[in-house]
Amino acid sequence: MPMSRRRPWRVRLRESAVWRSIVRTPPLDSPRGRALRSFGNVFLHLYPVRVPRAVLAFRSTFRLGFIATVLFAILAITGTYLMFFYTPAVTMAYGDMQQLRTRIGFGQLIRNVHRWGAHLMVLVVVLHLVRVFVHGAYKPPRQFNWVIGVGLLLVTLAWSFTGYLLPWDQLAYWAVTVGSDLVHYAPVVGGPLRDFLLGGSTIGQAALLRFYVIHVAVLTIAFLLLMAVHLWRVRKDGLAAGDPPHAHDVTARAADDARIAAIAGAALDIAEPPPTVVTGDGATVARPVPRVLGVVPPDPLSRAARPPDDEVFSWPHLIVRHQVVALATCALVLALGIAFEAPLRDLANPNLTPEPAKAPWYFVGLQELLAHFDPLVAGVLAPAVLVGALVMLPYVDRNPSRRPRDRRLALAIFALLFGALVVLTVIGAFFRGPGWAFVLPWDALYFEP
Amino acid sequence: MDDAMLPDPVARGTVTRRELLEAGWKIGGGLLAVAAAWTSWEALRPLADVSGGGVLALKPASSYTEGTATFVREGRLYVTRAGGALHALAQKCPHLGCAVPFCAASGRFECPCHGSHYDLAGEWLAGPAPRGMDRHPLQVIDGRVHVNTTVLELGPPLGTDRVRLPTREGGCAPPAP
Ligand code: HEM
Ligand code: FES
Repeated sequence: MPMSRRRPWRVRLRESAVWRSIVRTPPLDSPRGRALRSFGNVFLHLYPVRVPRAVLAFRSTFRLGFIATVLFAILAITGTYLMFFYTPAVTMAYGDMQQLRTRIGFGQLIRNVHRWGAHLMVLVVVLHLVRVFVHGAYKPPRQFNWVIGVGLLLVTLAWSFTGYLLPWDQLAYWAVTVGSDLVHYAPVVGGPLRDFLLGGSTIGQAALLRFYVIHVAVLTIAFLLLMAVHLWRVRKDGLAAGDPPHAHDVTARAADDARIAAIAGAALDIAEPPPTVVTGDGATVARPVPRVLGVVPPDPLSRAARPPDDEVFSWPHLIVRHQVVALATCALVLALGIAFEAPLRDLANPNLTPEPAKAPWYFVGLQELLAHFDPLVAGVLAPAVLVGALVMLPYVDRNPSRRPRDRRLALAIFALLFGALVVLTVIGAFFRGPGWAFVLPWDALYFEP
Repeated sequence: MDDAMLPDPVARGTVTRRELLEAGWKIGGGLLAVAAAWTSWEALRPLADVSGGGVLALKPASSYTEGTATFVREGRLYVTRAGGALHALAQKCPHLGCAVPFCAASGRFECPCHGSHYDLAGEWLAGPAPRGMDRHPLQVIDGRVHVNTTVLELGPPLGTDRVRLPTREGGCAPPAP
């Protein structure tokens, strides 16, 4: 066969039986083929085949939830790498951190990326929460996904906090001492709970091992479970930005609800005569009826009355946008990792507290509050009330409208609380020095990430 | 007899098999949860602190002079003499657990974390701490100081001023806002 007639090897590979058994690539020249592209691939299956066009706009979500997911992936990969070189023992941990820097190729870079990625994830998750609040995306039918989100926020914070102890340097030891001693102001259960977390009354070997196991195993499992529900619900309910305009309208909503109830009822109605199908040889037979084992409303509320003509295919429109955001996120943490070293202070010394001993920045607002109020109020009640209020928000806020001008009160309360948190954090992080005295950051900066 | 005439199962004092099984599942699940919680607690609850417990025999009482604080590393505590009496004060700040250093300039304990101050007797002077410094029982036996580190007594409440000490200028960590 003359060389010129041979097709390129890539084409031949794509057409080979083995390749086609691995990647099921339907022809993309028809809507059906494009839909199969999503159906036939477990990863793309995370996306619906079609999405409302409004979702393509960056400001529909600012892609914040997606960025948090990407950061999770980065942290899982770099964290696994770190696990190869880290021993959770007080005699080893600090030395291991030094070795990452001095002996292991790219060890320090991986550590930097893990550290900055973790800080960024806390920030991005909080911004995601703010975005969801401001868009009113926690309103029906997404109330419970907001609650799942609060769970994810707590997991993210616990992840950062447990990870903070692992380098076993002065920064780690004292930030965690101050942080975990807060628990013990909770009435009755506080003391035993703290000792349970630490495996003793002081931070030592037991605490290090516990934090390690919680950090790498317990929280990872909890996160994956919560994420499975979180993403599944986003997939089923669609994004709020893609809701039909009448989603804000109470009467149209009621009609939708009635429809859903009717559909759910119909699913149970097995007495209905089954339709027939025509087989290959022309005979008319009853179509086998799938048994009903549970109630699954076939169409989510938000999708019920969506005009079909404003939809686009997820592939490529949404997925390519996500890929760009994912790459930008990777580039950002890599750049941060190259530019800034993760800190490693002196070996942890239980007899010497460095000045000042600050909690990690996302808890420093709490620490600032502690300087003004009783520890029971500032350290236990305030955070408990905050988390409780977040969990209850979608059930307390019954205003169905998502338009900002209908939600002045909710937005004002949120802005007030969130503003207070930001102000406390900024004061605690930048304006406090030894003995928690007020300092100006341009005179002396006592901030350690 | 008509079905509708039957009294309901609870009123009859009987339950159907389905009801019994349903209740059984729930009770079984509940017991399993209790068992899981209990075994986890038993396995994970902190073991008795073996390290550092016991009675420390320290130097002769006369070597702790008025106005000094001596750090005892084995017990993470200070032996002080204030107003004539000896005290064994835990180094751990009763506020949030930082290690409180003694400030020679001011003659006080000054916590670097949130600026709680205590006098030489461990009585609270300033800052966010909820009480004075915690302490261990101290005895002088045959002239030597003995401190029992297995017992920790909570510090005196705010406002306690049993031991009057002269105030000095200077300081290490400024008092809390
Ligand atoms: C580890 C943390 C989290 C991750 C990885 C995550 C991930 C995501 C993703 C990928 C989406 C799709 C939309 C988008 O890209 O923004 C989403 C939507 C959503 N998230 Fe999260 N999330 C997290 C935490 C939270 C928190 C803290 C809340 C609120 C308390 C929350 C509430 C919601 C809600 C209500 C939606 C639906 C929004 C809509 O329909 O517009 N999530 N999340
Ligand atoms: S830990 Fe000493 S003042 Fe807060």
